[in-house]
Amino acid sequence: MRVPDRIQTVLERLVGASATERILISTAALVLSILVGAVLVLVAGRMTTCTASEAVYYFGTGFCYDPVVVFDRLFLGALGDPFSGGWSPDGQFSVTLRETTLLLFTGLSVALAFRAGIFNIGTQGQMVVGGMATALLVLWASSLVSGVVGTFLLVPFGVLVGAVFGGLYGAIPGLLKAYADANEVITTIMLNFIATGITLYLVSGAFKDPNSAANQTVPLPDYAQFPTVLFGGRQDFSLVALAFGVVAVGALYYLLEHTAFGYDVRTSGIQPDAAEYGGVDAARTIVASLTLSGALGGVAGAMYVMMILGSFQSGVPSYGFDGITVSILAGNNPLGVGFAALLFGVLKSGTTVVQFATDVPPQLVGVLRGLIILFVAMPEFFRLVGKRVTDTGSKVVATDGGTPGGEADE
Amino acid sequence: MDTAVHLDGITKRFPGVVANDDVDLAVERGTVHALLGENGAGKTTLMNVLYGLYEPTSGRVLVDGAERRFDSPRDAIDAGIGMIHQHFMLVDPMTVTENITLGNEPTKWGGLAVDRAAARDAVVDLSERYGFDVDPDARIEDVSVGEQQRVEILKALYRGADVLILDEPTAVLTPQEVEELFEVLEELTAQGKTIIFITHKLGEAMRAADEITVLRDGRNVGTVEADGTNREDLAELMVGREVLLDVDRPPAETGDVVAAASNLAVEDDRGVRVVDDVSFDVREGEVFGIAGVDGNGQSELIEALTGLTSPEAGRIEFLGEDITGSSRRQRIESGMAYIPQDRQERGLVMNFDLVENALLGSQHSPELGPNGRIDWPATRDHAESIIEEYDVRPPNPDSTSESLSGGNQQKFIVGREFSREPELVVAAHPTRGVDVGSIEFIHERLLELRKEGVAIVLISSKLEEVQGLSDRLAVMYEGEFIDVVDPAGTTEEELGLLMAGERPDEDAPDQAGQSAAHTESTDAPNGGEHA
Amino acid sequence: MSEASEETEPASETEFLERYSMRVMTAGVTVAAVLALLVGGWLFPDTIVGTFADVISSENTLSAALRLSVPIAFAALGGIFSEKSGVINIGLEGLLIISAFTAIYVTEVTGGVWIGFGGGVLASTLLALLFAIVTIEFRADQIIAGLAVWLIALGLAPFASQVIYGGPNTPTVPTPGAISVPVLADIPFFGALFSASPSVYLLFVAVGLSWYVFERTTFGRWVRASGENPKALDTAGVSVARVRYAAVLLSGVLAGMGGSALSLDLGQFTGNGPTMVNGKGFIAIVAYLFGNYNPIGAFLSTMLFAGLDAMQTVLQLQGIGIPRQLIRITPFVVVIIVLALVGRTRIPEAAGEHYESGEE
Repeated sequence: MRVPDRIQTVLERLVGASATERILISTAALVLSILVGAVLVLVAGRMTTCTASEAVYYFGTGFCYDPVVVFDRLFLGALGDPFSGGWSPDGQFSVTLRETTLLLFTGLSVALAFRAGIFNIGTQGQMVVGGMATALLVLWASSLVSGVVGTFLLVPFGVLVGAVFGGLYGAIPGLLKAYADANEVITTIMLNFIATGITLYLVSGAFKDPNSAANQTVPLPDYAQFPTVLFGGRQDFSLVALAFGVVAVGALYYLLEHTAFGYDVRTSGIQPDAAEYGGVDAARTIVASLTLSGALGGVAGAMYVMMILGSFQSGVPSYGFDGITVSILAGNNPLGVGFAALLFGVLKSGTTVVQFATDVPPQLVGVLRGLIILFVAMPEFFRLVGKRVTDTGSKVVATDGGTPGGEADE
Repeated sequence: MDTAVHLDGITKRFPGVVANDDVDLAVERGTVHALLGENGAGKTTLMNVLYGLYEPTSGRVLVDGAERRFDSPRDAIDAGIGMIHQHFMLVDPMTVTENITLGNEPTKWGGLAVDRAAARDAVVDLSERYGFDVDPDARIEDVSVGEQQRVEILKALYRGADVLILDEPTAVLTPQEVEELFEVLEELTAQGKTIIFITHKLGEAMRAADEITVLRDGRNVGTVEADGTNREDLAELMVGREVLLDVDRPPAETGDVVAAASNLAVEDDRGVRVVDDVSFDVREGEVFGIAGVDGNGQSELIEALTGLTSPEAGRIEFLGEDITGSSRRQRIESGMAYIPQDRQERGLVMNFDLVENALLGSQHSPELGPNGRIDWPATRDHAESIIEEYDVRPPNPDSTSESLSGGNQQKFIVGREFSREPELVVAAHPTRGVDVGSIEFIHERLLELRKEGVAIVLISSKLEEVQGLSDRLAVMYEGEFIDVVDPAGTTEEELGLLMAGERPDEDAPDQAGQSAAHTESTDAPNGGEHA
Repeated sequence: MSEASEETEPASETEFLERYSMRVMTAGVTVAAVLALLVGGWLFPDTIVGTFADVISSENTLSAALRLSVPIAFAALGGIFSEKSGVINIGLEGLLIISAFTAIYVTEVTGGVWIGFGGGVLASTLLALLFAIVTIEFRADQIIAGLAVWLIALGLAPFASQVIYGGPNTPTVPTPGAISVPVLADIPFFGALFSASPSVYLLFVAVGLSWYVFERTTFGRWVRASGENPKALDTAGVSVARVRYAAVLLSGVLAGMGGSALSLDLGQFTGNGPTMVNGKGFIAIVAYLFGNYNPIGAFLSTMLFAGLDAMQTVLQLQGIGIPRQLIRITPFVVVIIVLALVGRTRIPEAAGEHYESGEE
């Protein structure tokens, strides 16, 4: 019995390390992406033209773009330049928090589905559908009430509408997967295109604001939007919405870790056969998790309408896809989503700062997003690198805890 | 003496485990050499060393007297060694010919095309030379297991193997197919091939081998002539002590019917009827055993009984109620415990720790999951009590089930299921992979439950287990109960005949058995359609 | 696998029907619907049915369908190689995007359309190589890595376009002219097959060659074995990693041909929103699933989707009252319906799983 005991201690050490390891890997992936991004900025800087005085010089070569400036603007700019004095919460910092709020919801949406073993790429579409429904129904309801009472009634109502419609739209791929065995990766991608098409049709036709050139709905009255607290509201950020997002993080964590439903979801996510054995109804769990996931995406849409735009407009930014990155970076852990959402809030908000301060195209952040996912997807790479780095001390590692071979020989 | 293969002082270590410890093995050309030992004795590891899958930690491999170093199976194949793995290395949707020639396809047009005619001819030639019955154009997924095994052997011969290693070749075969295999082996040795045959079954080693080497705990504990030994001696060599297979079992005091199935039929994914018109009942305080060669519908029958698949026809009753349409969860909640045959797929969530695994199946119970909220402290207590009572090692509820050895995983599942206070226990291979001491313990607990009036349905591929524990024993063959017997009044030989599909009520049993088995093997290539 | 081998086994006909019943039905319904429309249109030429019939039977529709199917079918062929070898490549969309941009860029720099075409193929192959290294060497999850490939290309192509041309859309470059086969091109309707862009002919060749590789060459067999039972291939002495590398790179080459053809036929790369590729890579996945991993089947189902797309374009021009935005989503809706009907496609046994040689 000593042999299994020994394997056990070895494995235990590995397992115990896994949470730390995951954080390390996520950090390493982030750093590596930034490095690759920096190289990309340099290369791009060689491909474009600028005057000699505008250029920066590294390694004796001139570049039109300076990666240091780019990342300085991206990160510090997003935080509203906290080190240069005159920091105000109502500046770029509140844009960052605004983006974070939306990413909390899309990130949680993807994370929940992931934990159930479902790859929901459709958060974007669920958000679009939820947002559109919120814009239309809240607009209708806003004629019934007004003032502070209106805000108290309309904002929760709007969030609920977003959740219901996003949830219903999420239920479609859920039902298709559970009962027709249709791959959710493909159906959700298709449903994203469909959501965009249908909302564009509605918003450019029947529900178009006659006073606007853009394809958008009639703007909501101010009392039907998220109230601004503490922050000036110049940047369309509401602390109420953020607080709501933080509560959602806690709630989802509780749901997954402390409820029977969460146990069902997690079990069917990692080992469907065992879940079935343990009495979990696979089909129902799939539909329920995708519906809930869609609801979270729909809430993001509601927030987008009631906090940022004040109406629904075609061409919703890709918060849903960013949610995938957020979730993957967070290891699909709700608490991790909190941090990852803040990080991506910084990246998204910093993009506009970069755009103002430099000539570097904003699509850079899109590339970074892809790179981060790629690197997070390959933990083996970092383990290998980690092993190389610690290889100088390999003897210590091997003898740590006794010489396995020698003892088992007896 | 002409030695074909000589393994000299082979030691193979894995991190923390010594799988082979200074093993010597010499195999004479043109003979069948059995490598006998219990699961985990190091037989397969040793053969993987010979086949180039593992590099030995120390020791030499000599083929035809010359020392060889195999970095990969390719090297071993080049040296004339072929291996037929327990799990066949065949590509299901490809044909017999395509599988046999895989990796060595004859080509034409300067390599631009596979010479399909040449490949087919080569396969036909080979199977004729050794008297094999295979259809070169059939797809693997459509042929019988016995034929798949012959394809594996042909594959090795096609690559020029002189030494054939067979890893537990009889595990998946019917007794009839086992006989056919032994005939094939005889034919092969007659033509100068050398066979190494890994098994844990004494009888087969005695029957088929010329020489037998016994491995125990990674060591060679003796090589004997098959003619000069007996079962008792071999058994003692294998386990290192005298084996007590008899279970002390008081007579049954049976009560009411707990569960009953009537005219049950189950189809598999492909729509093939794998359980056909099966009826039985099991009473309080009774062990109802189901024996049969693996793959004759036992798994599907108990999956239907426990609610993991829904039957095509028939009716299942439990505690007097019709539960044919009720869900798995309802069955758990009404008092049905199930020890699944696949503990790593079904019985445990491998990435979960033991606390989380103790909850599996009870997450909605009022004790551990009241009102949809999980009581983790209570669950931890539950896990700890299972660990203590069933001696799960290491006794740490926070270790993942993945990190446990197979035997300890099994003990944890058995403990969890027995502690449900069930009305019915469905146990599939409850002692598979468990050490001897724990086997006795699990058997005792099973009989204790029986004494307490619990009904038990038991399936096991170990004949002595089902025979020793059951009060009534059904034998399953091709999806049907071929007979239900009193296990105490039936010999192992009689059971063997039943398992081979020989119906007890035929007038001329020999004749019937022959023809049934014969039909099975000749129709096999088209088995997919008519079934 | 092949239709040919099905035919040599008449005994398995019922099984064949069972296995493919949903496909057979869908194909049957499609053909029936087309026929009904044609007959209806002939009977009532002035109704909406008549318009549909005109559109279907128009040579323009066929030639548009062929043109639209080029990128999808190439990507689908690539996807078949990759997935059959055991590597699910959902990054096809990204491969199309990167090659579409690079082809225009190289053409614009060198002035040679075919050099540009080669440049696009190279870019896609390099990205596929990255994907291969990450999934085969570093055991990355194939789905997530594929998604990353898509997102990287989705960011990188417009980024590069912005850097080089100051906007997400490139300037236009000359397109390769259509090649007309004399006489044959004059056949009504089917003449469209013989008067098309060189990429269409290239596609025909690629479909045939892919079929040949799978059915007749050793490499094709190894790819199949690598996806079904890699261990069988490994123990037969063939390196699974090498076969998978080759297959994934080949998917890069094929998708690259599709992406290059897409942008070069139009003479421009447009990089707004989902770019000009706009989901074609994902439709390609559905196409090969529906075509049951058979190159010819995948091509035919691509024609089905592309035909729908072509019809919506023509219908938009005719202005029959259905809003443009709704017609545009029909292919996506059809994909979902098809997927729901043939949900149970048998994917290669080992697809999506990492394989480690010598693993016991």
